[in-house]
Amino acid sequence: MIPETPLAVSIQGLTKDYLLSMRGFRVRAVDGLTLAVPDGKVFGLLGPNGSGKSTTIKVVLGLAEATSGSTAIFGVPSGEVRSRVDVGYLPENPNFHRFLTGRELVTFYARICGVTRARMRDRVDEVIEWVGLKDAATRRLSTYSKGMLQRIGLAQAVVHDPRLLILDEPTAGVDPVGSAEIGELILRLKAQGKTIVLSSHLLAQVEDLCDRVAILNRGRLVLEGGVDDLVTEKGRDALIVKGLTGPVADDLRAWLAARGVELAAIEKPRTTLDRIFREHVGARVDAREKEAGR
Amino acid sequence: MKSTVRFSPGRVRVIAELTVLEAVRQRLFGALLALAAGMIAGALLLREFNFGSSELKFITDFGFGAVTLFGTILAVVTAAQLFFAELESRTALTLLAKPVLRSEFVLGKFAGVAAVLALFTAVTTGVLVAVLWMRESALREIAPEAFEQGRLVQYGSIAAFALLQWLKFAVVAALTLVVAGFAHTNLYSVVLSFLVVLICHLQYLAHESWQKAASGVARIAALLLAAVFPNFQMFNVGDRIAAGQPIDPAVLGGSAAYGGLYLAVFLVLAIHVFRRREI
Repeated sequence: MIPETPLAVSIQGLTKDYLLSMRGFRVRAVDGLTLAVPDGKVFGLLGPNGSGKSTTIKVVLGLAEATSGSTAIFGVPSGEVRSRVDVGYLPENPNFHRFLTGRELVTFYARICGVTRARMRDRVDEVIEWVGLKDAATRRLSTYSKGMLQRIGLAQAVVHDPRLLILDEPTAGVDPVGSAEIGELILRLKAQGKTIVLSSHLLAQVEDLCDRVAILNRGRLVLEGGVDDLVTEKGRDALIVKGLTGPVADDLRAWLAARGVELAAIEKPRTTLDRIFREHVGARVDAREKEAGR
Repeated sequence: MKSTVRFSPGRVRVIAELTVLEAVRQRLFGALLALAAGMIAGALLLREFNFGSSELKFITDFGFGAVTLFGTILAVVTAAQLFFAELESRTALTLLAKPVLRSEFVLGKFAGVAAVLALFTAVTTGVLVAVLWMRESALREIAPEAFEQGRLVQYGSIAAFALLQWLKFAVVAALTLVVAGFAHTNLYSVVLSFLVVLICHLQYLAHESWQKAASGVARIAALLLAAVFPNFQMFNVGDRIAAGQPIDPAVLGGSAAYGGLYLAVFLVLAIHVFRRREI
């Protein structure tokens, strides 16, 4: 069900075909997609490769034309340039002008987006520091790592302080530590009340960051809803207890049975591999950085 | 939210500045500039010609040839490369996802390439003028009787030549952007653009055919060819200058207006083609 809040992005019956040859062969990338992204929420766009996520984003941003259906940003049709005034975009595998330094790149996009001359310097410095690239700001982008490119990409996307951010695979190809850092930046944007459309393969990260998700497959919407609603198993409850040994467990099972409730399973709480990796590798990176700082 | 996004010369300038920076940081620009300047300077080393005006004519001819040849190569390759670099590296995705009009993108790219071509034309013409001045000064001392009427080289006309060549290069860059707007690869765009440039250089043949054609169909075909492709011979004032003949300002103005008209038409066409392109 579409929530009754102002819509940042609306997609109505979007179909997008790509012409494969001059003889008229076409491939359907998006098939009758209808979606609504509420203002102020983090919306996850999930799906395997070729599911139509990036194509949908391109149509929303006016970079590709819909075969049928319509898309709009804050109520303005995507075909109009003004729909992109309040939008920041980080493309998949961003490949910026590699002959520029990080600061030159962010300044270029700030000028393009009409950041005033009076605010320019402070704003550029502010966003570069925000993404943690202050020390690398004067280095050419050709020397940046994948994670640094994603972060400078995020800096150019937010430099004009847009209301809506569209992030296409912001953590693709980035190691778990870098990925977690980008996740932290997205959480901070969420705390600022930005609307974020996030396309990602990292389900754990999407679960942590998003309020709502839509899952696409072969260009079609297969599932949409609030993250909490989707991940919560209906009709089952979990009790986290300590020291539940054999006889105690049997007593509990009998006690529950007497009240007509079945104990389905007793499980150890689990963490995620992603979290363990980040805790161990992240701690080492922190220690190394501290040591280097000394 | 703004009711509309108007065309912004400021954004065109920002894109043009980036294009210039990208072009001058590429090896191709430096290589072609060095090659052209080296060729012009190398004319000094050729000594098998007679002293006097024939040697200066040779240097002028040689210099004009170098400026025209390398300038045309630079116009086609740079325009195509800088345009496709944005599409192939997908930097255009980020840029056009901002409130940037397609016309601003195309005009920004063109203005950047035109500025690079202006720099190329100014430097190579400067080298040519320096070489001619040095050689003419040396010849005046060796054979002063040939210079009783003053200097033989018309330096003002060389500046006019440079201006017209730059305009021609700009027309070449604009037509390359039209081709690049619908082409799918850089190579295709470069090859097709060079073919069109060749047609434009030989276009005077279409003019002649049109005038001589007997049948109506041939006449219409020749007329179409003559109208669609600019006649690059209109910019060819080098022979007159090298022969020491003055350039009529009216001819100069007419050629500039002719070039300006085709430039405007090609830019409108390039914008129209690029508007329809999916990124």
